[in-house]
Amino acid sequence: MDQNNSLPPYAQGLASPQGAMTPGIPIFSPMMPYGTGLTPQPIQNTNSLSILEEQQRQQQQQQQQQQQQQQQQQQAVAAAAAAVQQSTSQQATQGVSGQTPQLFHSQTLTTAPLPGTTPLYPSPMTPMTPITPATPASESSGIVPQLQNIVSTVNLGCKLDLKTIALRARNAEYNPKRFAAVIMRIREPRTTALIFSSGKMVCTGAKSEEQSRLAARKYARVVQKLGFPAKFLDFKIQNMVGSCDVKFPIRLEGLVLTHQQFSSYEPELFPGLIYRMIKPRIVLLIFVSGKVVLTGAKVRAEIYEAFENIYPILKGFRKTT
Amino acid sequence: MPGGGRCPECGSAELVEDSHYSQSQLVCSDCGCVVTEGTLTTTYSDEGHLREVTYSRSTGESEQASRSQQRGLRRVRDLCRVLQLPPTFEDTAVAYYQQAYRHSGIRAARLQKKEVLVGCCVLITCRQHNWPLTMGTICTLLYADLDVFSSTYLQMVKLLGLDVPSLCLADLVKTYCSSFKLFQASASVPAKYVEDKEKMLARTLQLVELANETWLVTGRHPLPVITAATFLAWQSLRPSGRLTCSLAQFCKLASVDLPYPASSRLQELLAVLLRMAEQLAWLQVLNLDKRSVVKHIGDLLQHRHTLVRAAFRDGAVEAETREPGRQGPEQGQGEEEAAPGSSSGLPQRKRPASPAPLLPPCMLKPPKRIPPTPSVSTVTGDEDISDSEIEQYLRTPQEVREFQRAQASSQATRSVPNPP
Repeated sequence: MDQNNSLPPYAQGLASPQGAMTPGIPIFSPMMPYGTGLTPQPIQNTNSLSILEEQQRQQQQQQQQQQQQQQQQQQAVAAAAAAVQQSTSQQATQGVSGQTPQLFHSQTLTTAPLPGTTPLYPSPMTPMTPITPATPASESSGIVPQLQNIVSTVNLGCKLDLKTIALRARNAEYNPKRFAAVIMRIREPRTTALIFSSGKMVCTGAKSEEQSRLAARKYARVVQKLGFPAKFLDFKIQNMVGSCDVKFPIRLEGLVLTHQQFSSYEPELFPGLIYRMIKPRIVLLIFVSGKVVLTGAKVRAEIYEAFENIYPILKGFRKTT
Repeated sequence: MPGGGRCPECGSAELVEDSHYSQSQLVCSDCGCVVTEGTLTTTYSDEGHLREVTYSRSTGESEQASRSQQRGLRRVRDLCRVLQLPPTFEDTAVAYYQQAYRHSGIRAARLQKKEVLVGCCVLITCRQHNWPLTMGTICTLLYADLDVFSSTYLQMVKLLGLDVPSLCLADLVKTYCSSFKLFQASASVPAKYVEDKEKMLARTLQLVELANETWLVTGRHPLPVITAATFLAWQSLRPSGRLTCSLAQFCKLASVDLPYPASSRLQELLAVLLRMAEQLAWLQVLNLDKRSVVKHIGDLLQHRHTLVRAAFRDGAVEAETREPGRQGPEQGQGEEEAAPGSSSGLPQRKRPASPAPLLPPCMLKPPKRIPPTPSVSTVTGDEDISDSEIEQYLRTPQEVREFQRAQASSQATRSVPNPP
């Protein structure tokens, strides 16, 4: 069974998941590897919106754009935030998408072609509109993976006495025989932290990067109030888990046959198929009901990119059942 | 240049191996002093010029298998013999074990893991030769936990970068069915329960294929499905005497373990068969239920392809031409289906009742809870944290004192087990 025949022609390049979404032209603005220089102000405005809202707004705008491309873009350029040259998902080179998200919250902003330029090579000097580029060859799936869990670490920068913390904090549990760290929980954002005596802390359970950061700061503040000179050093997001639903059943046996080198499907051990995507380096758990769990990402864009890579593969499977 | 040695006369490190006729000599190339003669030496200084290598760096160590590895290799061979595998499998499995053993993570693993590794090597060999061996069988033979087995197996596949094909369902059906002790009358198996092996195998295969087509196999352990299919095949071959026998009784008299999910697989398979039966006119009038449909499994299986297409709605399925020249029942069905006035090219939209969607059971069940709509959170991560919010997580001094008192008293009671 030759799966490639069933894939739409534009996705031929996606037969292996390393392939880029579009026929391989990277958008690369040499002027702004980080995008900071041009307009810091608008970035802060977009930070006040959730990423999801931003994305939905972008998608609506994209649909309008595709109808009246030139005029809409001019208006959007005037109004919108700019400067994050983060063409995520589809065209980002690994380095760009990997470095910037720590600085910005609006990671999913992507650029759109401007009037007067070729659609895929935006001019580096003009501010970019944060809209998914109208890539004519492919369509986005329209499904946005939801983030379910973020794991982050931070260094409080001082040695801690776990016994004191467990004694004087209400929300802490400490059982040195079982585990050598204090387990602390806060209600808002609903998270759990493991605090080690070396001063390092792991924060889990947040649903977004900002929430994780806020939660980590709250834990640091609690530790501070307990009398330790806690600081907030090297906050880093270690892992992000997302999930979504493609809403159609998937023939896992067929998928493991065609993508043998990436998939591992052992129904005797686990009902889902474990797909190890190479670019980006994400592990996907694909289930027969069409639900997909993506994990192993350091930045949100990797999750979106991985899903956009897998969606055509899964869709290709649907038609041959 | 020869390592380590220095000429005792001039101190140069340039020692060359040169042979004088048949005797090998180590000679200093600067002053010509013969440092050693031959390979045998008597003096301590001479030994200093021999290029000795420590045992750990010598080739001897890596060639010789350690004792634990030797035991593991013996276990692999034993396991292959117990399972009565062809002799070529043994060599492959041994090779895999040796290959895995080269990795430091495996070498330093616990004995329990090395035991399980034996099973993993045999399993991978069998899979690659399409020999149907389940993990459950190996775990039973090795007295191992399935969790330990699964983690070792996945680690090994990843470490060695192997391509392990999936379990071949048809072969597994044949092997598993043959293990049912129903083909000869005995003390526990009355004559009316005895069945012909070939017929049962053929029907079980058809039922398993049907289950595969209707999403009952994907994502599930294969064995319970095969158990349910075998049971249905056996019952349908002579329904009169066998309908009273339950699945558990059946497995008991066939001396086969009943896997726990088999009963729910049985119900799912019967539901599929009932839906198919609704497509046959002369069965519709009979108002079949899960027990009576067993009598008609033979007919249903004979026309299963068409019936599945008719009974289940699937957007992607194309209308294929019916097989021509079928027997009476099929013709009757064709006429019946053409009657409601739909065009001949579309087998789907015939039945008055809307055809059920062909989906895996997990998608057919209503969701346990409505997935929460993602709340739009406006968190920036840099907000101010109010003191009162943090205070709620700290104990008041009085609480601390009370807690300490409680801890002290519990310690006291624990340290004095027998109070006077």
